[in-house]
Amino acid sequence: MRHTRHVVSAAIVAAGMLGVAACGGGGGPAGAAGAKELTVVMWGGEDQKTHVRDAIEPWAKQNNVNLKQDEPSDYAKFQTQVESGKVSWDLVEVEPHFATKACKNGWAEKLDKTKIDTSLVKAELTGECAVPVLEYAFTIGYNSDVYSAENHPRTWAEFFDTQKFPGKRGFWKDATGAIFEAALIADGVAPDQLYPLDLDRAFRKLDTIKKDIVWYDSGAMQQELVSSGETPLIQAWNGRIYRAATAGRPAAQEWNQHILSYDQLVIPHGSENATTAQDWIGWYLKNPEAQAAYSNDTGYGPVSDAAMQHIKPEVATELPSSPQNAGKRSTIMNYTYWEQNYEDVTQRLEEWRAR
Amino acid sequence: MARQVTVPSTRERASAHDADPAPAAARTPRRARSLLDGWGFLVVPLVAFLLVVFVLPLAFVLTQSFTEPEPGLQNYTDFFGSPVYLDVLANTFWIAGMVTVATVALGFPYAYLMTLAGPFWRGVLMVAVLVPFWTSLLIRTFAWVLMLSDTGVINTVLRDIGVITEPLPLLRNLTGVLIGMSQVMLPFAVLPMYATMRGVDRRLVQAAEGLGATPLQAFWRVYAPLTAPGVAAATLLVFVASLGFYVTPALLGGPGDVMIGELIAKQLSGVLRWGFASALAVALLVVTGLLLALVARFVDLRRMLGGAR
Repeated sequence: MRHTRHVVSAAIVAAGMLGVAACGGGGGPAGAAGAKELTVVMWGGEDQKTHVRDAIEPWAKQNNVNLKQDEPSDYAKFQTQVESGKVSWDLVEVEPHFATKACKNGWAEKLDKTKIDTSLVKAELTGECAVPVLEYAFTIGYNSDVYSAENHPRTWAEFFDTQKFPGKRGFWKDATGAIFEAALIADGVAPDQLYPLDLDRAFRKLDTIKKDIVWYDSGAMQQELVSSGETPLIQAWNGRIYRAATAGRPAAQEWNQHILSYDQLVIPHGSENATTAQDWIGWYLKNPEAQAAYSNDTGYGPVSDAAMQHIKPEVATELPSSPQNAGKRSTIMNYTYWEQNYEDVTQRLEEWRAR
Repeated sequence: MARQVTVPSTRERASAHDADPAPAAARTPRRARSLLDGWGFLVVPLVAFLLVVFVLPLAFVLTQSFTEPEPGLQNYTDFFGSPVYLDVLANTFWIAGMVTVATVALGFPYAYLMTLAGPFWRGVLMVAVLVPFWTSLLIRTFAWVLMLSDTGVINTVLRDIGVITEPLPLLRNLTGVLIGMSQVMLPFAVLPMYATMRGVDRRLVQAAEGLGATPLQAFWRVYAPLTAPGVAAATLLVFVASLGFYVTPALLGGPGDVMIGELIAKQLSGVLRWGFASALAVALLVVTGLLLALVARFVDLRRMLGGAR
């Protein structure tokens, strides 16, 4: 039957091409024999490149470590690697709620205090298994063609006011994207009274702007949304707005009431290169220059106060920890709360989004 | 030929003695013989491969949906207990169905054109449908964002030439999802239909016209039925593959366009609820299977796909 053969061969060709399309990426250069290795995993994209170039490569060259990378961080892969005992990641950037959970469950290595002096970095950002890797702020980002330095929302209440400031709003599609914190502050909750979050109240507030929400799930998409004007207002990551603006795109941000957050680095339990990873962390915390180099390139905050003296003056005003901005902080993300509630709230958020 | 008529083959004699000379029963001895002739073992690697990479993981997923985080039906009661998941599941089938209709409707004339074109233009048409296929899914999806957004290429051009005053809502809604997914799925519709059409003997159409049919009649009553296997293959391939989409609807769709794939991914990578993610996957699989079984009751799928003689 010619038909049969043709259908089958066409299906095989199609399936084959799908396979090719799916098999991009993966696989790095083979390591030099005998040298130490370190596989670093972050969220990918420009940030990862910059981070590795500024903060890890100099150390790797000095210590003859063969550096590998993978991306993006993925909690399911993390868990699977640890539980199956086949760990190919050595240093992984994660959100603090996962770092705490991984530490509790024994999925992450405890920090080796003989190598790592955590007193060098901000205490509120450090955990038993985790060191901070960057500090960032959720700010009110806006398109500077649509709104201006004089006329834009200056509080989360104004950000939620679609009468006074019309247009779509961008939010990060993640329960720890500060969306609930912003909604509650907008609804009048005092920033120091946020936790435990009153989720019913937060969802009621979010309901009022639900039809105006556009979700983003990457920094690149965030920059595109705000600078194209598709969402003239966006709850932004400060570094992304900073870089869009320095690239000449019409993006700006309001620091008032910003919500501080941070990412952490952990070592998966069972990593063959755990010692090497501990070595790097120890070096990184002792090197404010390396921390500052990344901040200078990205606009994200360094993890120690000592790094501030190495920050370029034009960047200093753009960091969460700068004297101008630090006072405008409304709150810091409470990851103790989020460690306990991330799953349930994610569930509710997904159900609310799909409704 | 003559020999076959006078001396019935083993197969025919066997079926003559059989109470029910069904085609399947008649084929059995032949199949057994073809397995014995020495080439049957070539299928062993494939069977082993499928067993390891498909059947075992599927069994694992099924088990997990009943055992994680603790044994019981908890994951399924969660699933059926919230209207959201059933809505999303229904939405997934609805979107996949519309994408299927769109791609088959667009792909049929395209494939037909390919059979009419000379070698050069056929090559061009083939490349045109395949090149987007070889670009990264993310890049392609972002390209659609640039095309479809309110300030994107399409709306800007239409506004500049005065066709519209307000931007058309093409993005963050069902329109965006359908456009984005249809482009991804088009090769799956075009290729099987083209393969079938290439095998159709065009002299049959000429004969029909010679016997008095109008060109339209000849096309619909002779040509179209002969391409049915290709259309059926395209429909199945596109529909089933569309069910698993999540990146495209997540980026191009609006709040109401969540597909089940996105929820499954979130359950895994986000909150590590392996059991619930497995239950969602099993639900999708079971409903897909039921739907195909239902279709098979009304349509002879095997015949449509050219599996029976």
